[in-house]
Amino acid sequence: MARSVTKLSLLGMLRRSLVHRRARSFSALIAMTVSAGVATALLTLYADLDTKLHKEFRSFGANVVMTAPADKPLAAGVLEKVQRALPADAVAAEFAYAVATTDKGTPVVAAGTDFAAVRRLNSWWQVDAWPAEGDADAAIVGQRAAGFVGDAKALKLAFAGRSIALRSVGRLSTGGDEDSRIYMPLAALTQWTGVAPSVIEVQVPGGAATVEAAIARLKQEFPELQIQPVRQLVEGESKIVDRTHALMYGAVVLIALTVAVSVLATLSASVLERRRDFALMKALGGSQGQLMGMFLLEAVALALAGVAAGFVIGSAAAWAISEGNFHTATLPHLSVLPVVLALNLVIAAMAALFPVRVLRGLQPAALLKGE
Amino acid sequence: MALEIPVDSTTTTTNAAGPNPGEVIVTDNLWKTYVMGDQQVNALRGVNLRIRHSEYVAIMGPSGSGKSTLMNLIGCLDSPSQGRYWLNGHDVSQLNDDELARIRNKEIGFVFQTFNLLARATSLHNVELPLIYNGTPTAERTARAKEVLESVGLGSRMDHKPNELSGGQRQRVAIARALVNRPSIILADEPTGNLDSKTSVEIMALFQELHAKGNTIVLVTHEPDIAEYANRIVTIRDGVVAGDQLSTRNRNQQP
Repeated sequence: MARSVTKLSLLGMLRRSLVHRRARSFSALIAMTVSAGVATALLTLYADLDTKLHKEFRSFGANVVMTAPADKPLAAGVLEKVQRALPADAVAAEFAYAVATTDKGTPVVAAGTDFAAVRRLNSWWQVDAWPAEGDADAAIVGQRAAGFVGDAKALKLAFAGRSIALRSVGRLSTGGDEDSRIYMPLAALTQWTGVAPSVIEVQVPGGAATVEAAIARLKQEFPELQIQPVRQLVEGESKIVDRTHALMYGAVVLIALTVAVSVLATLSASVLERRRDFALMKALGGSQGQLMGMFLLEAVALALAGVAAGFVIGSAAAWAISEGNFHTATLPHLSVLPVVLALNLVIAAMAALFPVRVLRGLQPAALLKGE
Repeated sequence: MALEIPVDSTTTTTNAAGPNPGEVIVTDNLWKTYVMGDQQVNALRGVNLRIRHSEYVAIMGPSGSGKSTLMNLIGCLDSPSQGRYWLNGHDVSQLNDDELARIRNKEIGFVFQTFNLLARATSLHNVELPLIYNGTPTAERTARAKEVLESVGLGSRMDHKPNELSGGQRQRVAIARALVNRPSIILADEPTGNLDSKTSVEIMALFQELHAKGNTIVLVTHEPDIAEYANRIVTIRDGVVAGDQLSTRNRNQQP
């Protein structure tokens, strides 16, 4: 029966070796794919991690507080200047505070602010309903402050002999000092009490360095104001980001080592199984370089195939993890491909070290004699 | 594993002058010593040998006599502990692994007792294998492999793998592989050891045919009747040449 005659070449021999030892090749390929997949997923997440974590931390509220001196409240237009001095995605809201008396005669802190800005700034606040924009007499009442007033819906407050009637549209719960306050529009508070804003709370997106830089800039522009970072937030965020980075690096290294051991076992078995074939090739004139080149080519081919499959799988995993945890998709990062490729090639090279030593030490005479 | 160590020898060197014209193999006081545990084993103890081009020589000896060690040295599969070896005029006794690989590829055609074919390669690919290592272009490689397979009577078995061939056919593939690089010598180590009597006779007839075409053949065997196919029989015993004579058949053909 006539058969098709394929041409013999080193590449053909490589293909034949991989195909005919498909179980071993497959197990090595799986290991390489796992390594490339995990590395791709982690590095892809890593590339977006800062942005995503900082975005998550934004929900914790202000990380910088600007306070006016007690005897000199904030001048008109300071908020706009602050906003101009900060990155476009920074959020700032100003606050004025006055101690008023409720209809039950209980002192309570009345805070005037811009609800729209506060809602962006403190997205973590639990408010059952926010006042509509432009609603001049709407207020939100803190959980504890609700107990200080006679009618929690129709608020009546007095300050220095002047009273104000407000509608409570929502209840505020933060677990902090805010629960003891009544928030109303800044214009309404200023008009009622004559108290001007004295505090600006700012949310600067980014890590500790970015926040410190923003503070430095603000201090330079507003030397009369006391400007402080919210330390526990800025430093906590920085620590979490750094530890997450270290964890990811550690995971990649650990997985790379595990995979290297697995590939080492596979490649070693592959060489030991074919000692006789390699001995024959040596006897027929194959140089050490040619034989090792052929063997290393096998390892490299497996590494490259692993990178191709692993990059696709790892990118998909990163997308799913990101969607699940951060609710935003992380797109594949081609920039991680060279790193993943280098990692897999290093694993292949490490795993090939022992088999290559076996190859170098092969004695064709004894093996071909069947000893 | 045995370790090789240098050995002092007082054996008289008789081939120190090197090869004469027409000689393809010359050994001078060839020693091979292995260290096994705390023992030194002298597998060869000063072998002097001269083989001319187109000779058909059988190296005979009982098991453990050193004939396989000698074959390994002659085949450049191993290096001597002491002494010199000229193959086709070149001193190859001090070459490194890669240089020896080049010499094996260019100068020596091996035929093994267990055939040693690549199991998953066709006859054609098995025969082409030595040509890959010296960079012969694909077209020429295939043409030469086909030509030599046809010359050993396997023109119709080129695309068959070893497990689809009989023992005799496998050995013919191995012989074709040995011939494909047009080597200076064909080195056959017990080539009929795995064959039945009838096939052995066929294979030995093929060797005679190759010899008749001018090939130099060195046959290693422990079977006297197989050695008798050669023109000259060198007997190795206890690591030295114990006898070197014409075969009976050759003696009978002498005037």
